[in-house]
Amino acid sequence: MKVLEIKEVHKIYNSSEVKVHAVNGISIDFEEGEFAAIVGPSGSGKTTLLNMIGGLDNPTEGKILVNNTDLSTLKSSDLIDFRMKNIGFVFQSYNLIPVLTAKENVEFIMNLQKRSKKERNERTMELLNAVGLGERAESRPAKLSGGQQQRVAVARALASKPKFILADEPTANLDSKSTETLLEIMEELNREEKITFIFSTHDNRVVKKARRVVTIEDGKVISDETR
Amino acid sequence: MNNIKLAWKNLWRNRRRTLITAASVFFAVFFALFFRSLQLGSYDHMYKNAIESYSGYLQIQQEDWWNDKTIDNSFRYTDSLNERILDDKNVTGTIPRFESFALASSGPNTKGVMVLGIDPEKEQRLSKVKDKKVKFLLTAKAVEKICEDENLPQKTRDMADKVEGNAYSTVDRFLSDLSLDPGRRDEFLPILESYAGFQNGAIQKGEPGAWIGSGLSDYMELDIGDTLVLISQGYHGTTAAGKYEVKGLIKQPTPELDNKVVYLPVDIARQLFNADGMLTSIALDLKNTDDKAIRETSIRLSKVIPGSTRMIDWREMNEIMIQQMEADNKSGMIMIGILYLVIAFGVFGTVLMMTAERKREFGVLVAIGMQKTKLASIISLEMLYIGLLGILGGMLVGAIGITIGVSNPIVFKGEMALIFEEYGMEPKLVFAGVGTYFLWQSFIVGLMVLISIVHPVRKILGLEVVNALRA
Repeated sequence: MKVLEIKEVHKIYNSSEVKVHAVNGISIDFEEGEFAAIVGPSGSGKTTLLNMIGGLDNPTEGKILVNNTDLSTLKSSDLIDFRMKNIGFVFQSYNLIPVLTAKENVEFIMNLQKRSKKERNERTMELLNAVGLGERAESRPAKLSGGQQQRVAVARALASKPKFILADEPTANLDSKSTETLLEIMEELNREEKITFIFSTHDNRVVKKARRVVTIEDGKVISDETR
Repeated sequence: MNNIKLAWKNLWRNRRRTLITAASVFFAVFFALFFRSLQLGSYDHMYKNAIESYSGYLQIQQEDWWNDKTIDNSFRYTDSLNERILDDKNVTGTIPRFESFALASSGPNTKGVMVLGIDPEKEQRLSKVKDKKVKFLLTAKAVEKICEDENLPQKTRDMADKVEGNAYSTVDRFLSDLSLDPGRRDEFLPILESYAGFQNGAIQKGEPGAWIGSGLSDYMELDIGDTLVLISQGYHGTTAAGKYEVKGLIKQPTPELDNKVVYLPVDIARQLFNADGMLTSIALDLKNTDDKAIRETSIRLSKVIPGSTRMIDWREMNEIMIQQMEADNKSGMIMIGILYLVIAFGVFGTVLMMTAERKREFGVLVAIGMQKTKLASIISLEMLYIGLLGILGGMLVGAIGITIGVSNPIVFKGEMALIFEEYGMEPKLVFAGVGTYFLWQSFIVGLMVLISIVHPVRKILGLEVVNALRA
């Protein structure tokens, strides 16, 4: 079942003198449960594509459908709600809320979704245990290592039970050991919860783990390899 | 976690910034309240001084007297007129006065003076002249004795030199000027009294004798028992001349009056000016002195007083002072406005910085699903908390400070006091109690904070998530 359809998407940035074609007619689909990496050199359009998939940016042309919903048809506030329910984000620099504990960070989206306290507590602890941080639930981000923070970010992204998770260079700031741990956790969650993971990366360690690798260059897909 | 809790937690992630912003609001409120209290308190005090030391709240005068103060514009005072006035429900007493001007002379000194014919007993109801009689006078001889007395504290002996020539009608001011610790009052007051204590005589109806302002006595070099000669023009052009024994010195809080006033018993003053049975004014002792009561009393009495007289209230009698205070009030408000402006820019600067610093965080929150309106409300709450912390803190500390200030006015002593007196002011800063101005100042600062919220709210509502995430 397709969770994501990208149809002939273009993104053109108009700077003062030149037009930059960051994404140039990309069409790809992602099925439920995929563990895919979008790779390519810097400036190839990976992050732009990811932003558009996540509804953070609009394509200049083309359509992006998430679970058959065309993102361009949604109003700004509906799009935010849609993101909350369907898309999880993992950022390169974790971006946890510094004043909240790991538990509160994970709980945060469920709070926005107005879920019951019981459900929130159960799901939060389930996710924190899944990322190996059940015992650090009450720690604030500043007390966690980079790898631990990124694991909390993954747990947060999963909290709303999204259709897929977009992870933009999730391992860029992590050492080898933390990267390995994080990737193992994400693989396990992918297998167990059937959640689609889409990474943008140029980290070979991530690429090796991915079951599908989409290579982009100059805003175009130059290869799409399923392993 | 609800918005309120999250906003509160957010406040303390940059503790220093929060405290600096709250402190700027706190100081804005505190100083605005403090200075406003001082300003309003000083006005009240000056009004009270002017009213209680001279004019009273309401007077009956001959209709032309106020604009042309010649004794030809006096009116006949009768017992029946007095009774009609006293019949009014708001009048508790009448204070008859005969006021004119004369040239005073003593030895080689002369000075234009204000002659105030009073009934000393009745005057106690209003200007309380007897209470203003000089109790201590730091003559050169008294100062010498104080300086030589090794039993007295060194500070007191040092101060005595600086305040030589000063007269005091209150013990507190006397001791304060001599820097004497109030705790040692019982120990040293009798000694100081023996050196600088001053005995006054009485003036009473039918007996020639004068009380004069301490400033005037200093200028004229007059002491108790000396003779003061007064020369002037009497009623309907007659010659007025008389000599009077100085029976006492009066310390008027208003230096202008202190330097020129001569009190005579009212009947003696009438004799001097050949105006038997006449008065220039009757000041009224009122039960209720609020503006409405004064207005109503004036209207009622207008109907019972002779046609050649009229009612005049304290506002009309102190018109210039009121105008000066209104002008001063405006300049005070401008100063407070400038203070607000400085603080407003400080608060706004912090808000700008905070908004720029947290742009990425805003982007993340919107990206993961927080509605912009909800985010804006959290940030608004943060600013409101900071505002409330500052405003409530400022109000609380302001209220405590002002309450202390109300019961402990700032009294200047020594040279500082003399500087005040040179400008015709009593050397005293009085605070106005906590009143409606409290709410106004706090409201204005609160409004400033609310206006500063507009910026982050606009930024959040117009936030482009992709740009914010790159910040």
